[in-house]
Amino acid sequence: MATTKFRHVFGGLWGFATSCKKNSSTPIGSRILQRDVEKEEFQYASILCLSKYYSVFVVRLAIMVMLAILIGLLTILTWHFTKIYTTKSLNSLAYDLRYELLQRPILRMWNILNSTSEITMAQVKLSQYVIRSHGNLTTQENQVEMYEAMRAVTWALFASRKALNSITVKYNNGFVQAFHRDLKDNNTFYIYSDLANYSIGASASSYNSDINYSSLSSQESWNDHDNKSAVWYRQPLDPVTGEKIGKAMQIAPEDSIHIAGLSQVPDGVASWRVVVSKFTDSPLLSAALPVWDASNKSIVAVVGVTTALYSVGQLMKELVELHSGHMYLTSLEGYLLATSTDVPLLTNSTKPPKLKMSVDCENEVIRLGAEYLKKSSGNKFPPSHEVHVANVRLGHDRYYIDSFFLNLKRLPMVGVIIIPRKHILGQEDKRAFKTLVILISASMCIIVIGWVCILILTNGVSKEMKLRAELISQLEARRKAEASSNYKSQFLANMSHELRTPMAAIIGLLDILMSDDCLTNEQCATVTQIRKCSTALLRLLNNILDLSKVESGKLVLEDAEFDLGRELEGLVDMFSVQCMNHSVETVLDLSDDMPKLVRGDSARVVQIFANLINNSIKFTPSGHIILRGWFENPNPCSDNANHLMEEKNLQCAQKTRTRQHENHAKRTSKRDNKAILWFEVDDTGCGIDPSKWDSVFESFEQADPSTTRLHGGTGLGLCIVRSLVNKMGGEIKVVKKEGPGTLMRLYLRLDTAGDATEQHCLVDIANNGLVVLLALHGNMGRSITSKWLQKNGVFTMEASEWNGLTQILRELFHTRNSAGINNDFDLHYPIHESLKSKLLSIQEIKNPVFVIAVDIGLLDLSTDIWKEQLNFLHRYVGRAKFIWVLNHDTSNTIKMELRRKGYMMTVNKPLYKAKIVHILEEVVKERNHEMQKKNMDELHESDYTHCDAASSDDSDISESGPCNPVKSEKVEQFHRLSLYRINNCLIGLTDEHSEANNTPKKEELCQNNQNSPKSLSLEQDYFPREAHQGEDSESRGKEEHRIIGGSARPVNGKKSLEGLRILLAEDTPVIQRVATIMLEKMGASVVAVGDGQAAVDALNGLLGVEDFRRDSNLNERNTRSSSSQTEILSFPSYDLVLMDCQMPKMDGYEATKAIRKSEVGSGVHIPIVALTAHAMSCDEAKCLEVGMDAYLTKPIDFKLMESTILSLTRRTIS
Amino acid sequence: MREKEKERKEEISKMDVVTQMQRQLIQYTSSLFQEGFLDDQFNQLQQLQDESNPEFVVEIVTLFFEDAERLLNELSKSLQVEQESIDFRKVDAQVHQLKGSSSSIGAQRVQRVCIAFRNFCEQQNVEGCLKSLQEIKQEYSLVKTKLETLFKMEKQLFAARGSISR
Repeated sequence: MATTKFRHVFGGLWGFATSCKKNSSTPIGSRILQRDVEKEEFQYASILCLSKYYSVFVVRLAIMVMLAILIGLLTILTWHFTKIYTTKSLNSLAYDLRYELLQRPILRMWNILNSTSEITMAQVKLSQYVIRSHGNLTTQENQVEMYEAMRAVTWALFASRKALNSITVKYNNGFVQAFHRDLKDNNTFYIYSDLANYSIGASASSYNSDINYSSLSSQESWNDHDNKSAVWYRQPLDPVTGEKIGKAMQIAPEDSIHIAGLSQVPDGVASWRVVVSKFTDSPLLSAALPVWDASNKSIVAVVGVTTALYSVGQLMKELVELHSGHMYLTSLEGYLLATSTDVPLLTNSTKPPKLKMSVDCENEVIRLGAEYLKKSSGNKFPPSHEVHVANVRLGHDRYYIDSFFLNLKRLPMVGVIIIPRKHILGQEDKRAFKTLVILISASMCIIVIGWVCILILTNGVSKEMKLRAELISQLEARRKAEASSNYKSQFLANMSHELRTPMAAIIGLLDILMSDDCLTNEQCATVTQIRKCSTALLRLLNNILDLSKVESGKLVLEDAEFDLGRELEGLVDMFSVQCMNHSVETVLDLSDDMPKLVRGDSARVVQIFANLINNSIKFTPSGHIILRGWFENPNPCSDNANHLMEEKNLQCAQKTRTRQHENHAKRTSKRDNKAILWFEVDDTGCGIDPSKWDSVFESFEQADPSTTRLHGGTGLGLCIVRSLVNKMGGEIKVVKKEGPGTLMRLYLRLDTAGDATEQHCLVDIANNGLVVLLALHGNMGRSITSKWLQKNGVFTMEASEWNGLTQILRELFHTRNSAGINNDFDLHYPIHESLKSKLLSIQEIKNPVFVIAVDIGLLDLSTDIWKEQLNFLHRYVGRAKFIWVLNHDTSNTIKMELRRKGYMMTVNKPLYKAKIVHILEEVVKERNHEMQKKNMDELHESDYTHCDAASSDDSDISESGPCNPVKSEKVEQFHRLSLYRINNCLIGLTDEHSEANNTPKKEELCQNNQNSPKSLSLEQDYFPREAHQGEDSESRGKEEHRIIGGSARPVNGKKSLEGLRILLAEDTPVIQRVATIMLEKMGASVVAVGDGQAAVDALNGLLGVEDFRRDSNLNERNTRSSSSQTEILSFPSYDLVLMDCQMPKMDGYEATKAIRKSEVGSGVHIPIVALTAHAMSCDEAKCLEVGMDAYLTKPIDFKLMESTILSLTRRTIS
Repeated sequence: MREKEKERKEEISKMDVVTQMQRQLIQYTSSLFQEGFLDDQFNQLQQLQDESNPEFVVEIVTLFFEDAERLLNELSKSLQVEQESIDFRKVDAQVHQLKGSSSSIGAQRVQRVCIAFRNFCEQQNVEGCLKSLQEIKQEYSLVKTKLETLFKMEKQLFAARGSISR
């Protein structure tokens, strides 16, 4: 048991150790799991984990089995040894007992034998003595006397031994004397033969002759005597005294007892045998001895003694009664001599009775035992063979059988003792069984407890393993789900072309329909409705496709350098138009530390914010939308702090940010060039329920489903945003905000290009004594701008309405003019204390320059009062610079009026940093200029040279000097273009405006446009960047193109591509012709070539073009455009190239590469639009890679081509 | 007076004929669209046709016929069975051209077979290519007859109109 326990504990420890090992290996596993689930690793991990799980299971099982085996073995061993020892000792004890038991009857047997032989000997000796003393038996009297003496002697002996059955003396003359004791009725008899028949002489002679001659013949003669002529008498005697009590009765010799004769002692020595008499039912032992005469030469008489074996049986019975079992004694031949039972030993059926064989014994046990012995040792029992068998089945019970050999001369005997096993080992067997049961149950208990312990000990491990296995299966399931979702996305991505083409066709056809004049009003309305729906559908389609593109991993982010600030400014410009209608203010608030140039996919970044702002606009009926951005802040704590600060004071936060930035910038610059850019889109809309903060980013999820009815939308926008943000290594979430509205915060990981931070040109505007009066409508924008200016050392004042403005103006200038009036004004217009202090501090500024930014919205435009207001302001022109902040829908009359009054600086809303910086720089420079050349009478011409360079900034400041109309026109035109680029929605409006505004100039320009290489070359200075930007906006704003398709159509019958010269490289004549006609319908002049080589040649000014033209079957058109052919010769430049990708000789890619190569160094960049039949993005990527600017798929869509070409060439026409 | 009435009646009957023809033409065209012979690209072509190019569609389609026949000839030449090795790239380029021109006139069934053809080319499956070639030929002749009928009808209509206006 101790070992079992030890083993058990050991097993437990082992289990613990293994679990420890498992535990130590878990981190690796979990780390693996935590990583991005890459397939291989995942599978490896899963196999590892599963195998671990199974191994634990197996180990557990093994431990249990080992324990079970061990305990089982121990139990069996214990039981076995106990049993063996007990059995051995018991067996030896039992053996002793049996031996002892058997010894006693054998001793008795010996006793009987000994006493019999002793008596026989004594009788013989006495007979010898008596016979010798009566030496001469010559007379009858002598003989009788001798017989009398013999009788007395014999009686004495017989009486002394009660156990004797009989004593016989047979003389050689045939006379017999015998005493017999009948054990049945306890009578004693004297038996003798008739004396008269015996003659001494005859007998003597016969004796002599017998001895002399042959003992055999004499023996026969004795027997003859006995049988023939003997007369026998039996006389009962008193058993004690020996006196005759009855009459002698003659009996037949057969009836008498057995008389030992000469035949019993053939060789004159004593003999032993077992006899049977009719008087007893037990066998008798008889011994016979001869009596020799004095000379020892002849036998005088034979003495026989018979003893009953009854007493042996009696003893056996007594013994057996005490110990139970059976005993019996057999002769060597197998005759039963004595048994411990009462069964008769003699057969009764035959006469005379005979001895029974032991195998025929009526007692079953004895018979079976005898049979067993016979079987085991054969028929012949070998002498001195002893059998000891411990476990013999006789009948139903088990017995011990032991046999002993009793070697008597002439009468070897076998004693057998059969003792039931129950008697000796019964208890022991029972005990053994009980012990076994107890042992087994105990070991069972131990095994069970051991198992439980093992289970408990290893349960932790197995539980963990089970969990891990579950996790694996779940991951597997997730992977499958992702894969299936991927398939879906892939399918959608592949379907892009198939989906977009029909939509484009629908919209294009609708446009055609709408332009048709013959439609009734009703039809027109319906078609317009259809057009709107189609646009919506297309937008939805684009969203889904975008999303699926991202999800299927087909979206490859571009990695190009771009000006983040400018992109965002453009975005805000675009949305501000939309916001105006909602009376929502859009504010861009980028911190100064934002890196100017970053690397990434500008189109996608813009898409992110476009979606977010769009979303905000949708849900913001009034208030403001702020797009904030700042550089880095990985620390969530300071982020929170930052956040709180913002809540309290948005403007102050900027300072904090700057400070924080200084710390973090160092840190980030150490890590690669990756910068973390934080953005916030803050609106004052209806807000999102906090419980939906996470789910709004799911596909087709909207915070409030009911809003769909109100605002429309599909719920895909934010999902796309999140996908894109995640793709750029960032995160987006909704953040808690005080007050109404939603605050979305996100960060992007973008490469900063070169310098992490830009060096602002603020140095110029600070410390120049500038005083800026911001008279702007929007509170948020105004305060942000003002704070920012103040931070940069510019003194600012704010006014939100007309009265405030006038008040400040009066205060400002009247106090400066005359302090006396000041008091009057104090009376009339109570001034704020803060304003007062400001005014005071302004007075301290030396030589201040006043800049007044007036929102046109401050004027009362509904009536004609605005003119008077303008006149009022005009009074201050000499003392302050006015900047007019225009709305996009400001009417032309106002603009005309402003221009008429000589206000040169106008700026479109919204006002953001870059614009302000630009304006202020302008002001400063102008002032410096004035100061330098105060005395010189010069025109402002030089002012505008920098204007060109500066206007590469993405602002739409326009200046028009009356003295320099050509230049200002150019500038204006440029601004319109850049505006178009930023916001396609503005095209039409700007167009309209410019057309209405200066139609004559425009017409003039149109005429000159083709042959004004001067202006063209000037434009080309901006070209590379513009083209690049254009392409971005093209891909970003595809949908906008379509939306504004209607407004972009030719107005006043003008063709949209009027005056453009386009080189078409296309080998398939059909397509070539179609495209040519399309382009010509749009007003462009087209030169078509058949392969890439020809295109390159044509661009290089070779005359191969003409050759081709002759070949091509443009019969009619050729003649008509012969006039333009001369133009080609004189002006071999094209505005755009449409390039098929697959062409003989030289394909589109090669041709483009060649063209771009030839352009290197010349600064020229001709827009190339790819025409391809492939619809997948990889082709697009390839096209863009080789230097093409845009991408059109075949079949050519009229509208799409128009808008694409327009977007690329807009700057060259006006 | 009677003569005038007669003329008027004639004119009216002619007008009827014209409207009927017009209807027939429209039905036929729409059937072409419904059966998928043509797609909206053909519409665009028709849009492009104006006074300056009155025969534009016919011209383009004729161009297409010429081009397609040339390409089909070349294709069957290069796909001849006797040829040891077939230049699949050449075949592919030719089919691509055919695809481009057919899509440009809006013969979308031809275009579709072209796409299948190109797939076979990619797999270098000669049997598939031959099968597709047969299909293309079939589709081409179908669309050709359809278009010719269409043009004939248009011509008739035009003639009828001309007679009225005269």
